[in-house]
Amino acid sequence: MEALTESGIRPPDTAAEQPLLRVKGLTKHYQSASGGRIVACEDVTFDVYPGEVLGIVGESGSGKSTVLQCLFQDVMPTSGEAYLSSFLGGTRNLWEADRRERRHLRTHDMSMVYQNPRQGLNLMVTAGGNIAERLLAAEWRKVADIRAKASDYLSRTEVPLDRMDDFPAFFSGGMQQRVQIAKALANNPALVLLDELTTGLDVSVQAGVLDLVRDIQHRLGMTAIVVSHDLGVIRLLADRTLVMKDGHVVEAGLTDQILEDPQHPYTQLLVNCVTH
Amino acid sequence: MSSVSTLLEDRGAAFAGYSFAFLDDMAKREIRRAILKGVAIPGHQVPFGSREMPIARGWGTGGLQLTLALVGGSDVIKVIDQGDDASVNAVNLRRLIAKTTGATETLDTAAATLIQTRHRIPEEVMREGQVLILQVPIPEPLRLVERSVAAARSMHAEMDYSRMWLALYEDIVRRGEVSAGAGYPVMVNGRFVMAPSPIPRWDIPKLDNARCLFLFGAGREKRIYVVPPFTKVEPLEFDDYPFDTEHFDGKECALSGATNAYLVESPTEDGGSRWTASDTNYADKVLAGQEVDTQWKR
Ligand SMILES: Nc1ncnc2c1ncn2[C@@H]1O[C@H](COP(=O)(O)OP(=O)(O)OP(=O)(O)O)[C@@H](O)[C@H]1O
Ligand SMILES: [Mg+2]
Repeated sequence: MEALTESGIRPPDTAAEQPLLRVKGLTKHYQSASGGRIVACEDVTFDVYPGEVLGIVGESGSGKSTVLQCLFQDVMPTSGEAYLSSFLGGTRNLWEADRRERRHLRTHDMSMVYQNPRQGLNLMVTAGGNIAERLLAAEWRKVADIRAKASDYLSRTEVPLDRMDDFPAFFSGGMQQRVQIAKALANNPALVLLDELTTGLDVSVQAGVLDLVRDIQHRLGMTAIVVSHDLGVIRLLADRTLVMKDGHVVEAGLTDQILEDPQHPYTQLLVNCVTH
Repeated sequence: MSSVSTLLEDRGAAFAGYSFAFLDDMAKREIRRAILKGVAIPGHQVPFGSREMPIARGWGTGGLQLTLALVGGSDVIKVIDQGDDASVNAVNLRRLIAKTTGATETLDTAAATLIQTRHRIPEEVMREGQVLILQVPIPEPLRLVERSVAAARSMHAEMDYSRMWLALYEDIVRRGEVSAGAGYPVMVNGRFVMAPSPIPRWDIPKLDNARCLFLFGAGREKRIYVVPPFTKVEPLEFDDYPFDTEHFDGKECALSGATNAYLVESPTEDGGSRWTASDTNYADKVLAGQEVDTQWKR
């Protein structure tokens, strides 16, 4: 992603370009305690193009996080296929990768920012160490280089550098989230997954984190999937958006169009709730 | 069994009623198999069914089982405990091995065919055909970063050592250096990260491309692993924080005057302290004016 110019965002040119990520028929079922079937997501299909931010919006329980967890290999789907052009030339279904390939996916090709920083950060390790972890996985073996790179990411995410060697366990929620974002950027992953990155934060802090992500996106042109139940977040960050309900994608299109002219009754309801 | 009793008679072993070398044949066979597997996969921990020994676990039962599985009546055995042939534990182990096999005891590193050791590699270079058996308390180098045995095993299988490196990075950030003193983690044959047992850093370079065979036995944890002769063994190090051994600048052994040796400090009666070589056989040889080859690396 650093190969892209500082000049900013590239609108997805879907006709000309190959998608970075292709997801086909992603389905995840869980079993309830009584043995019944829980449909977390069903037949979810979408593409993500290089340099674009795809939003996924929907009410609580609609399956948004499940999509990201499957992509990041946290959980295995019941069925479906996904191809990432940076991973083995886009020839291997991500859900047929072996353990070693899966680890490579998680440390090189993708990164995830979790709603709860405890999930994405190792709180027993310094802030700099958290970033170092991804660089070490990519076989960086010079402490000075690792620290220079970690400082670079931390300053981009506006974490004071004098906190670099402190443990994020003692940071505020907002700062933990910034460290998590810095970690997610380390090692230039092809695709960044952001799950409800502002949900746990104070309203005052939320705006800062969103600005930060938008700014980074503009400067680095990173490709990302942003999941949120908040249309405001989607409006701010996403070029295109999927609307999910009960595990299904009910509407997809350019974010502006969806907000201006929602087609599905559920989307209309969502948009009306926000605007009125 | 008749062959065993013949052996016992032949060698006049004093432990009638016990198997030759204490262990039964099945146990020896299993251990030898584990050793062969270890030779084939240098640095890889091979599980084995550690037997009850006439000493307590944690006192060298892993090393002892390796020794007993290999020793023959014509072997010359040496046992050292932190470099010292005369410690109670070393003497007991050496006697047990000799009494149950008729093997010859020695203190001389050069004369020994099998050396069992705790926490040291001799200063004197070991040659082809010699075997050094190291007692190991904790065989898993990933123990510090991963508590689960199963998870650590899959990390080895996938060569996923980034958390080990992360621990070293954190050490450098917090202490300015890698703090591991004894048992500094090493990479064996470019494939497995290995715990070299609690030897000082001083001994780590001796493991690399040595001419002898190194066997590691952990009795409590039931693991055997091997560094065969002429195997690459590298301490984990960052390019800008290279591995370094202990330094004893300007110090010498108070007993022998030896300088090129790992020295340990001990209190003296007048309330002060003195430094002596921990390898007692080496100190004795230096004191006797013998030439001793300590150039492990060439
Ligand atoms: N491990 C699990 N076991 C059983 N059911 C699960 C599990 N994980 C998720 N689910 C169910 O799958 C559905 C989708 O969950 P998911 O977390 O993907 O929703 P979401 O859209 O991210 O919701 P939220 O906005 O609350 O984060 C929910 O009904 C949820 O209860
Ligand atoms: Mg969620």
